[in-house]
Amino acid sequence: MANIIKLQTVEGQPIEIVDEIIGSGGMKDVYFSPDKSYVVGFFREEQDAQTKDRLLMITGRYRQSLFENAGGDYWKNLFCWPSAVVEFNGRIGVVAPTYQRHFFFEFGSRNDDFLGIKGREKEGKWFASANNQNRFLDPRERGDWRKYLKICILIARAVKRMHAAGLAHSDLSYKNVLVDPTDGRACIIDIDGLVVPGKYPPDVVGTPDFIAPEVVMTCHLGKEDPKRKLPSIATDRHALAVLIYMYLFYRHPLRGDKVHDADPQIDETLSMGEKALFVEHPSDTSNRIRAKNIKPSELPWKDTAKIPYTVSGPYLTPLFDRAFMQGLHKPSERPTADEWENALVKTVDLIQPCQNPNCSQAWYVFDNTTAPRCPFCETPYRGSLPVLNLYSARREGQFTPDNHRLMVYTNQSLFPWHVNRNIFPNERLAPELRKRVGYFVWHNEAWWLVNENLPELTEISGETKHPIPIGMAAPLMDGGTLLFSPQEGGRLAVIQMVEGH
Amino acid sequence: MTTRRLPVYILLDTSGSMRGEPIHAVNVGMQSMLSALRQDPYALESVHLSVITFDIEAKELFPLTPLEQVRLPEIAVPGSGATFLGAALELLIDRVDRDVILGSPDRKGDWRPLLFIMTDGSPSDLQCYREMIAKVKQRHFGNIVACAAGQKAKEALLKELTPTVVSLDTTDIASFAQFFKWVSASVATGSSSAGVASPTSLPPPPPEVQVVI
Repeated sequence: MANIIKLQTVEGQPIEIVDEIIGSGGMKDVYFSPDKSYVVGFFREEQDAQTKDRLLMITGRYRQSLFENAGGDYWKNLFCWPSAVVEFNGRIGVVAPTYQRHFFFEFGSRNDDFLGIKGREKEGKWFASANNQNRFLDPRERGDWRKYLKICILIARAVKRMHAAGLAHSDLSYKNVLVDPTDGRACIIDIDGLVVPGKYPPDVVGTPDFIAPEVVMTCHLGKEDPKRKLPSIATDRHALAVLIYMYLFYRHPLRGDKVHDADPQIDETLSMGEKALFVEHPSDTSNRIRAKNIKPSELPWKDTAKIPYTVSGPYLTPLFDRAFMQGLHKPSERPTADEWENALVKTVDLIQPCQNPNCSQAWYVFDNTTAPRCPFCETPYRGSLPVLNLYSARREGQFTPDNHRLMVYTNQSLFPWHVNRNIFPNERLAPELRKRVGYFVWHNEAWWLVNENLPELTEISGETKHPIPIGMAAPLMDGGTLLFSPQEGGRLAVIQMVEGH
Repeated sequence: MTTRRLPVYILLDTSGSMRGEPIHAVNVGMQSMLSALRQDPYALESVHLSVITFDIEAKELFPLTPLEQVRLPEIAVPGSGATFLGAALELLIDRVDRDVILGSPDRKGDWRPLLFIMTDGSPSDLQCYREMIAKVKQRHFGNIVACAAGQKAKEALLKELTPTVVSLDTTDIASFAQFFKWVSASVATGSSSAGVASPTSLPPPPPEVQVVI
């Protein structure tokens, strides 16, 4: 039995650790508390005064501004935020909560967990790889496409929150974001590397796969060289885009088959840095993933012709364009975390359940421009599907399109944020606005919207207005119009019926 | 895309002096290293492993094999015998030239291979050993780590091959366990955060191992 060491935080709070390393990262050795409710990570190398100062800010002021304001509890699930700093034998340690239970594998790998990963952390790399998904993970750990959308929303929201506070994570990667695809959860860890631009410089350059091209390109320069680019909010945006791409498509956006140099290290530096090129670039196809180099276990994901990034729909596609084309070498063009969050949230309104009960992804973005089908298992959509095009009044009586659609499926919910454009679903939303106000159902060969809590729902047909009271249902018909609410920001839905095969 | 392979070669001393507890400790250590690597999603995707043993002759225990397919046979020690480390390096060079894929305009090459050598003595074929050192250096290994196990291991000779020599005071299970743990951590560093100052540094050795400076 290892010894228990009693320590005090810099602030004077007592803490205890079991004297046995439970894990080692790039910079720290980690120890459990006796009750395993928190961990302490000690830096192996001596840290300068600035690092200590920064850690005290992270565990102090930044922590308070995030968690001690209204809605602070929401963030406790999204961040594993360090709570205190300790000093012991000349080394600095950071106290942080233990990861929540759902971030440890319940089933682990296939064949009765032949890899022995049950109980271990759900590091993102297990999920962001087609090979790991197909060959190793127990199907019960894998989750479906809607869960990954949710995971991406949570990551984007968490990063948005940090950036809003002026902080850069500086080392976002699948190592530092735990995910739980069985329930659609995510948590950002290793926050002690936080960078405050202009105040605390970063001490890591990031994790391979996620380091922005400008950082890779200038890695050989000295830390003080003015041309050296170090992690910042702009490089976080690159890492965030890579994470989202990898969780939605299980492949890396820049790892194609273009070879820049016979030496692997030089080739790596060029293909992640100066010569970085999107594998799905529409006009420059030189970095495509070549079919002959794809392992069977990586299909269909690495076949970009079969599952192009555009299957993510009309809101996410332009953001990927900006992240991996216009903004790849021009950091100011990269989408912000806020833009990702918005586009991801709107994309949830476009998804349909796959009609194939065995589809591994179960959900997909419905595309009514071509014969609609699930891009993952190719099952066509059968039946009629109402699409609600949403409009809102910027001026009294004049409705303009919101570039927001809602694809209807049975038992889908209508929420306050569909009803009013001034309501956005995020951590600040009041509890009473999180409840659904109606739902859709296919019944007796017709589609209906059942009104549960829309006091002023009105069916409009030409000049006639027909109120639909709470408890009643409105039929959905091609060309029909429903006014959800006449209030400020209230929306009008124009119904379009799409016929499947 | 071909996921770049990371070739990892392990050269193990099976000379007579390894009989008994030392070779048992090596077997246990290799087994747990393999399990640890298989629990690393990055290693699973990239690491290809080969083991060469050396005593009176050098033998390829198994050629470069994807991590998930490696079946580790029990490593045995012959009756008695010399420590032909030079012959082992010669075999290694032959295998590296044959198996490691170099980048071409058409195909991404492998990562630079990693080499780990464990010995409890000193090369019996010293002349061959020194000739091979020069050839090993032309092969552009990503990293070479030599482990001098026990009191009789000659660190100085190993330092002619690589500046990174770790020494284990004893050849028991506990010290080998620490060494193999360190090997798997070094192999897995490719996926962890890189520091601003030294982007390719190894994780620090475990407390029981001393790095010879």
